[in-house]
Amino acid sequence: MATVDPPLSTEFREFAFLLFKEKTMLRHKGFKDAQDFRKFLQSVLPSDVYYSCAYYENPGAEMSQKGWKGADLVFDIDADHIPTACKQQHDTWTCRNCGASGRGSKPESCAKCGGQKFEEVSWPCDTCLEVAKRETIKLKEVLENDFGFSSHEMKVAFSGHRGYHIHIENESVRTLNSMARKEIVDYMMGKGLDPSLQGFDFERGASPDLEDFGWRGRLAKAAYEIVLSSQLQPETTGKKTSKSLFAQRERILERWDGKGPWIITPSVSKEKWAEIIRQAIERQSIKLDTVVTTDIHRLIRLANTLHGETGLKKTDVLGGEIERFDPFNDAIAFKDGTTTVYVTESPQFRLGEVSYRSYENEKVELPTAAAMLLLCKGAAEIAEEENPVQ
Amino acid sequence: MLLTPTDLAKYPFTPQAAEHVQKLDLRITELDQAEYGAIVERAEQRIQEAIENGVVSDRTTGYSMQRKNTKDDVEILSFPITVVMVVSISDQSLKRRYALAEAKHAYNLLKREDPHKLTAIAHVFNLHPRQVETHVKNPQTTTSEFLLSFVGYLKNISIFHESKWKLVNRRMQHGEVHVTKDEVARLIGEEVRAYIESKLNLKADLALPQDVVNRIEKLKQRHMSLKKMQEEQMPKETVIEAFPPCIKKLRKTALEKGHLSHIERFTLTSFLLNSGMSVDNVIECFRPTSDFSEKMTRYQVEHIAGGRGGGTKYVPPKCDTLSTHGVCPGGDEICEKAWRPLTYYKRKLAAVKPKTTQQ
Repeated sequence: MATVDPPLSTEFREFAFLLFKEKTMLRHKGFKDAQDFRKFLQSVLPSDVYYSCAYYENPGAEMSQKGWKGADLVFDIDADHIPTACKQQHDTWTCRNCGASGRGSKPESCAKCGGQKFEEVSWPCDTCLEVAKRETIKLKEVLENDFGFSSHEMKVAFSGHRGYHIHIENESVRTLNSMARKEIVDYMMGKGLDPSLQGFDFERGASPDLEDFGWRGRLAKAAYEIVLSSQLQPETTGKKTSKSLFAQRERILERWDGKGPWIITPSVSKEKWAEIIRQAIERQSIKLDTVVTTDIHRLIRLANTLHGETGLKKTDVLGGEIERFDPFNDAIAFKDGTTTVYVTESPQFRLGEVSYRSYENEKVELPTAAAMLLLCKGAAEIAEEENPVQ
Repeated sequence: MLLTPTDLAKYPFTPQAAEHVQKLDLRITELDQAEYGAIVERAEQRIQEAIENGVVSDRTTGYSMQRKNTKDDVEILSFPITVVMVVSISDQSLKRRYALAEAKHAYNLLKREDPHKLTAIAHVFNLHPRQVETHVKNPQTTTSEFLLSFVGYLKNISIFHESKWKLVNRRMQHGEVHVTKDEVARLIGEEVRAYIESKLNLKADLALPQDVVNRIEKLKQRHMSLKKMQEEQMPKETVIEAFPPCIKKLRKTALEKGHLSHIERFTLTSFLLNSGMSVDNVIECFRPTSDFSEKMTRYQVEHIAGGRGGGTKYVPPKCDTLSTHGVCPGGDEICEKAWRPLTYYKRKLAAVKPKTTQQ
């Protein structure tokens, strides 16, 4: 197992620990160096370890006395924020007020009592994590091409649960305030994007090139794909537009290749083109957990420590390895042995090379990592040993 | 790049200008002496212009009886004297108004500068715009003359609310944002405003000669009487005590002749109209603001009231939008249960109305 190293500039970071026994968060801890940190870690054995993306004069002091010096730029991509169909199978919610429950992502408010607070059980699954990985790759590309960060300036990591983090420690970004970070978030998500400021003029028929950099090129590419595949969602643009777009596909694409303005098509109105561009923005938008980036005091899980909800570890993903990275294999912390558990209810899942079926009210002997995942999710309990091994 | 004495006169807030002042060995206690007459006069004028017009005038160009170097020195030296005078007036709203008036003055000069000089002044504030040659493929594409690191760009734009300033609406490549010369001047202007405001908030206990003290007193009176006039004109039919913290703050800024961004104006206007205030009274609220134009304000207020255009009556933005745009100053207990400023108002109204409704 990899050693747990504290982050760079340990002496300026705040650390926090979730304690196994008390289930409480121990915050505002500061350490002078790695040795000091490890000594503490061994003495408390926490379930989860966090550190601040912020640098403080006095990290151990209470919040108002800390003396904020700056913060890393951090992005969190979490399957919770990306709609996937499989959530219907593996995620559940229960209304805290009336106890009503359902499958999939939690509703905005409870249909039964109007309550807005829910207990949620979400499972990491291959589909969700693959979608999160795609978003992470998109984010990485934008950070490189638009924001000019080199690959070695970006630390990519699997969060240990349902997503990925990108962490930038570059000195130039440290003093960005929360508003500035909000602008970066909006940039990534395409929030507030006005097509007329990104090369579109629906009146005169001006449109950006596929080779343009930044949002211009990305919008052109997404619109091109929409036209090419005619994958326009008919429910939002109307069947007629989809049809006429499809019929004129060749002409539009010809214009495109000839570098002419491609948003002039006789039977596709400018309103419809505006709708196509809106869908292009949606396609290129990167689904971030916005608050993680804008919070300049945020606590983040430390790499190579366990995620208390899965028993998997937060794992760094090296430069070019994200495509090959398999969270359900590469992030397994407990590789040996088996544990017998009593499972109340669990969906299908995969760990390593093994796919597990769903279980319901049964006792099973499982590899420790799988048992750990079920235990962490609250879906199982350690089974009493009937025949203890001598 | 070397800044000439005229440059220092135009941009007296630069460290180079401060060095120049130090060399001249100006003594605060001797400001009543005849040789400093023109300087003190100009300092007083700078404040007066801020109070009356919201912008400091340009005295570096045009015909003057004074010799060129004397004229430049008056500009350079009058700036620190003005700062001392505003500090001693000790009024927050005047400090903000003066800083903004100097920023506007700087912006007016900067937008006409040649690119090298503009860049040199930008360096003072740690902004490093890089001049570029752009090949314009499409006449509709705005030409950008400079590239600025996104970090430098983001430092000040939260104050601007036009959508063209949003990062997502900019052209950006390899960490650099395309900006026009005018935009570089705006960004520097904002740096100037923040820098001067920070200087004005430093404490200074200086023994000023009586003549200067008298001038300060006169300026203070003028500022206060304008401020009071605005307060008296405030409409009374709405229950101000029931305003949420954001609206209270916006109203205060307007009354104190502060600067309101587009979204702040929209929020305040739509809120006041929805709270039952008449169009005329809402317009009066904006009279003290630094860039007030009655015609323009009437047009905007009537539009928001639904009297013009499509006839849509607008409501203030939701709390989280206000928070995104930095308008929310942080809420109180009622805010936790309200998601719009008007919801807050209605709730609080129910609690305070029996005691304090004003007719």
